[in-house]
Amino acid sequence: MTNLAAAACRRAPIFLVAAFALLPLAEPAQAQKSGGSITVGQELDIPGFDPLKVGVYDTSTFTAAAAIFDTLVTLDDKGEAAPKLAESWTHSDDYKTWTFKLRKGVTFHDGTPFNAQAFKENFDRQKDPANKCRCAFYITNVKEVLAPDEYTVVYNLTDPSVNLPATITIQSQNNVVHSPTAWKTKGDDYNRNPVGTGPYILKSWTAGDRMVLEKNPNYWDKGRPYLDRIVLKPLPDAQSRFASLQSGEVDIIWDDENDADNIMKAQKDPKLTVHTYKGSGAQVYAFNTKVAPFDDVRVRQALVMAIDRPKMSQAISNGLSRPASNPYGDGSWVKCKDDGALPYDVEKAKALLKDYGKPVEFKMLVTATPRGRMIGQVLQQFWKRAGAAMEIDQVDQATIPSRAFSRQFQLTPWRIVDLADPDPQMYANFRTGSPLALAGFSDPELDRLLDHARVTADVGQRTEDYCAISRLINKEAIWFWTFQNTYYALSSAKLKGFPKIYNSVIDVSNTWLE
Amino acid sequence: MLNFIVRRLLAILPVLLAVSLLTFLIASLLPGDLAMVILGDQATPENVAALRHDMGLDQPLWWRYLSWLGHVLQGDLGRSFRTGQTVLQAVSERIPVSLELMLMAEFVGLLIGVPIAIACAARAGGAFDRFMTGSAFAMLSMPSFLVAILLIYLFAVELHWLPATGYVPFTEEPLANLRFFVLPALTLALAEWPGIMRVLRSDMIATLQEDYIALAKAKGLKPSRILFVHALKPSSLTLVTVTGINIGRLLGGTLIVESIFALPGIGRLLVGAIYTRDLVILQGVVLLVACGFVIVNFIVDMLYAVLDPRIRHGHA
Repeated sequence: MTNLAAAACRRAPIFLVAAFALLPLAEPAQAQKSGGSITVGQELDIPGFDPLKVGVYDTSTFTAAAAIFDTLVTLDDKGEAAPKLAESWTHSDDYKTWTFKLRKGVTFHDGTPFNAQAFKENFDRQKDPANKCRCAFYITNVKEVLAPDEYTVVYNLTDPSVNLPATITIQSQNNVVHSPTAWKTKGDDYNRNPVGTGPYILKSWTAGDRMVLEKNPNYWDKGRPYLDRIVLKPLPDAQSRFASLQSGEVDIIWDDENDADNIMKAQKDPKLTVHTYKGSGAQVYAFNTKVAPFDDVRVRQALVMAIDRPKMSQAISNGLSRPASNPYGDGSWVKCKDDGALPYDVEKAKALLKDYGKPVEFKMLVTATPRGRMIGQVLQQFWKRAGAAMEIDQVDQATIPSRAFSRQFQLTPWRIVDLADPDPQMYANFRTGSPLALAGFSDPELDRLLDHARVTADVGQRTEDYCAISRLINKEAIWFWTFQNTYYALSSAKLKGFPKIYNSVIDVSNTWLE
Repeated sequence: MLNFIVRRLLAILPVLLAVSLLTFLIASLLPGDLAMVILGDQATPENVAALRHDMGLDQPLWWRYLSWLGHVLQGDLGRSFRTGQTVLQAVSERIPVSLELMLMAEFVGLLIGVPIAIACAARAGGAFDRFMTGSAFAMLSMPSFLVAILLIYLFAVELHWLPATGYVPFTEEPLANLRFFVLPALTLALAEWPGIMRVLRSDMIATLQEDYIALAKAKGLKPSRILFVHALKPSSLTLVTVTGINIGRLLGGTLIVESIFALPGIGRLLVGAIYTRDLVILQGVVLLVACGFVIVNFIVDMLYAVLDPRIRHGHA
């Protein structure tokens, strides 16, 4: 679709009716209403926006960043890359060079013009070793960004990336575009006085209490945004956050499966809407195949086959957790007819362990949180039934990465976060020699598939590759997946236009009140 | 008297030093550090090590403590690596909220506790006394997070009388500000009044046994006059101490209550600093809070000395 057509569709929803006509219960096209104000109940206090200071954004910062800033590219309703500050893009044959043509006539909230130079300055500031940006780690694959003319930006990558535009859509510390004038003039204070090109302008911010965002009257996307004002409030306690939604003090809140009771209450409440999205990642676990007993494939397979995911879901989240049989998740474009998942089969698991001959005893790292402990205990029971003894090794969440990187574990929990493309994480997690290849497993066929998938453009061919990768990993059982990443937001039923929760970001910048 | 004040003030210094050292040690025992929080869970060990080096987290513990102490003695409490705010900025933004919460809680606690204590003492052992002593025990055993949620469901979700969470500064909208503070202050007060009530009740019962009360009764004074004028003041010495110490307990209570009711006070600042391992903020805030606590106790001591001359002459 051309950009003009895309813009037309956004403004005239009637064009979309044809697409929805196939759905039996298609909602009637809704007219966006302008005006009004909403309050968002967030989980955390926002530490700030300067990537040099805060390092990585958290869930609460994402929501604010999505309103204050723009990214070059966004994801459309189908999860495909769509224009935002960049209007179009092309790539070199080896997918190592990407050229973006920028939108003209866009200005930052402080009047600074947005152009290729401004974008390059943002990137260089993160990349400059002298700045020691904690965010630099996430752009190691980008060698440099060039600005050959005022409205052209060129990415030069160290490794090929066939899906680069989609992977830079998350409103993260690396992707949102700041006004260079603002950070240069405000110095240390810039962190709490962010300036972007986004649909909302920061009006006031009281630490720990509220951030008030006002509509940007000069937003480049004419007609948007709809709301006059967005107020972001940190409500750290899950129970009182939900109570505030019920009593109408806030219009939308962040939530997760740990809060299953309230999510189910909201599902029954006609005044509330439950927004949910299954992302493109999963909760995963890695065996250390370099140490006994996990150096034997039979033990690994037995443990995976002993896990009853639906029962586990009931135990930990009242059945809200969605089982995963591969690392990609429903939100990913990778859909496998056969992902090679091992079936749940306790008898087979027992037989495999018997065949192994020696007693199976091991320790599993478990995060020292109520949920972490519960997951550990459930797995412990499954494995006991199959004849294996697991000892829970409780550690703080923050120490898991260091234990994992130094390979001081037998079995560790891990996470595959939502990215628009599987390549960055699959390559890091499974390619021989990667520091993140926690299982310590090396297989030439797996390496070949990973190398092939990252330089192939054809989606069908890539899907084949990634499904073959899934089959191989499932068969060798070097990692296993329990549940898909699922995201929740609960809102008043009057709040409309809330998009899919891509990349775990609660983005309210295009919503309106009915 | 001056000698007494100087002696008491000198005794405060070792307390503050001990508090800061203990906070530092305990915080260092926490697994993980700010470098990991800032870098996120996908960072490599090399990145974390480099950032720890930049922030001085790789220095030996004693050296970090001494250098922190050196800065504090020069009046520099430090600046958060994460938010860029100085400790003083962060605390001065939030202290009014916590002060208001504590004062209101103490006020409501006294408002509930004192009349009940007097009524109980007036008929010690009676039905009302026994009922109230029992209720006080029950209230003491209720954790504040439970009380808070129950109050929110009753007054905010069901009755819609009061807001569940939120805050506006008193200077902007005084009435709305007070409305936001009712439930949090009540939550804290419900845990405060039993202590107040029990202390005052037992002291009053003892006072009411004194000969001069019997004399007052014999002279035919009204029972209410005896209770409120002759018995209350001499019985309230312990209450003054308890109220002072309660400020410290209330500070602990604000950690939970401010989180539940989303009040932007010191308690929330501390909880956030602990979660993000922001040691600069944590150390600075704990030191300032300890200072506040010690000063309140100092004032209570002074008040005591004023109320009872035996104490300031050192042979109490």
